[in-house]
Amino acid sequence: MKTVGARHVWAVQEITAALGRRLEGIPSVWVEAEIQNLRQRGGQVYFTLRDTHQIDGSMRVVLFDRLEHRPTDGSLVYAYGRVEFWAERAQISMRIERMEPAGEGAILAQIEATKARLAQEGLLSDARKRALPLVPRRIGLVTSAVGAARKDVLNNLWSRFPADVVLADVPVQGPAAPHAIVRALALLNGIPEIDVIIVARGGGPLEDLMAFNDERVCRAIAASRAPVVSAVGHEKDVTVCDLVADRRVSTPTAAAEAVVADKTVLDTQLDDAARGLVRGLRRVRESNAALLGHRTLGLVAGLRASEQRATAQVVAAESRLGPAVRRVADAAALSLPVGRDRLERATAGRHQAAVQRIAANAALLDVLSPSRTVARGYAIVRDPATRRPVVSVGDMQAGADLELELRDGRADVTVKEMHP
Amino acid sequence: MSEAPEHATFEQALARLDEVVARLESGDVGLEEAVRLFEQGQALVATCRERLARAQQRIEELTGQGTAGGGADGEAPF
Repeated sequence: MKTVGARHVWAVQEITAALGRRLEGIPSVWVEAEIQNLRQRGGQVYFTLRDTHQIDGSMRVVLFDRLEHRPTDGSLVYAYGRVEFWAERAQISMRIERMEPAGEGAILAQIEATKARLAQEGLLSDARKRALPLVPRRIGLVTSAVGAARKDVLNNLWSRFPADVVLADVPVQGPAAPHAIVRALALLNGIPEIDVIIVARGGGPLEDLMAFNDERVCRAIAASRAPVVSAVGHEKDVTVCDLVADRRVSTPTAAAEAVVADKTVLDTQLDDAARGLVRGLRRVRESNAALLGHRTLGLVAGLRASEQRATAQVVAAESRLGPAVRRVADAAALSLPVGRDRLERATAGRHQAAVQRIAANAALLDVLSPSRTVARGYAIVRDPATRRPVVSVGDMQAGADLELELRDGRADVTVKEMHP
Repeated sequence: MSEAPEHATFEQALARLDEVVARLESGDVGLEEAVRLFEQGQALVATCRERLARAQQRIEELTGQGTAGGGADGEAPF
């Protein structure tokens, strides 16, 4: 400092040095701030720490890289460090040594820790996830009796299937929520007919969903007898509950689809099955009938075969019989001369008898013959053209020629007049 | 291949039914076996239908600290 006329005049470096001396007294502190403009240059990471005001900050890369939760732009952090003063430019910055998430960041860190513990125990494993029943006998619903989630779930459930529901009314946020949810799960699991449980809550800010990130709640879900469907928050909100549950759905609305099949689809399926049974039975009956048909054909074929066999046997027998017959015939031939006399005598006798019978029959024929009738004075009238007898005047015409046959000859006559 | 027990879940009954239908429709069974399968299938269809018919769209509320303990009180149509 020098005096020029009436003034004290300071050098810039005297001012910065004075400021520097004052700032040196401030010890290392924790500061809560949002990180902005995060960038790396050389061995340092630079950023802005700000709330409504702001201050530059830096951290050595080796420290930053070892952070469990590395912040990004917008992260709320607790940063620990001391204020540094760069005298040459009169600039203040903070040299940060430690950094932890704060606010939502802190919540997220807590969630991550819970998730990590559960994952280490295998409770988040896909292998643990159980299939949901197609048609639960009863459905447990854990939600607030006054919340919108209740209505969303029930409406969608019942539009698909007239399911029976047991509702466990619980607060879904606030300090009492985790314990109430754990208790509700225990109660519902105590009802044997409950085949599935839905845990539901509408969307909301992260703090409001914390009951569903609570480790006790997550463990109760993992231990649940009935499979659990987590229907918490909206699509973007993933809670630890979602991860540990047997099924995660993005909204309470989607829970219904996960938990019950569409009744009309089931009805159709049963109708199809019933028809399939009838069709199947008919097919078996038909194929059995066909089989029977085959067997009948087989029977016929068998018969035919045995018939042919029998024929062949007969033929074989005949061929064997032939020589035997011949032998018999030869034997007969030897005895023929002896038989001839007897035969001739018998034949002569029969001849005589036959001649007598023929004569008797001829006499009988003679009596019945037309020639004998004509001999008694009757005539046979014939049509000369056809040589057929004319037996009625109706068959005659005046002027027609006729022929009369009498005992000793014929006469040609002409009809003069008829008198029927 | 065992008979569907009384306490079988709906999907067990349905799965068994599908099996019976498939078996029967294959036509690869004797007539007596077919009749037996048919009857079994009919019984399964009846079981499934009965299970579906049992749902009544009821809601039971376990209110307060859940002291209702699963009783039928608080049952009301929605």
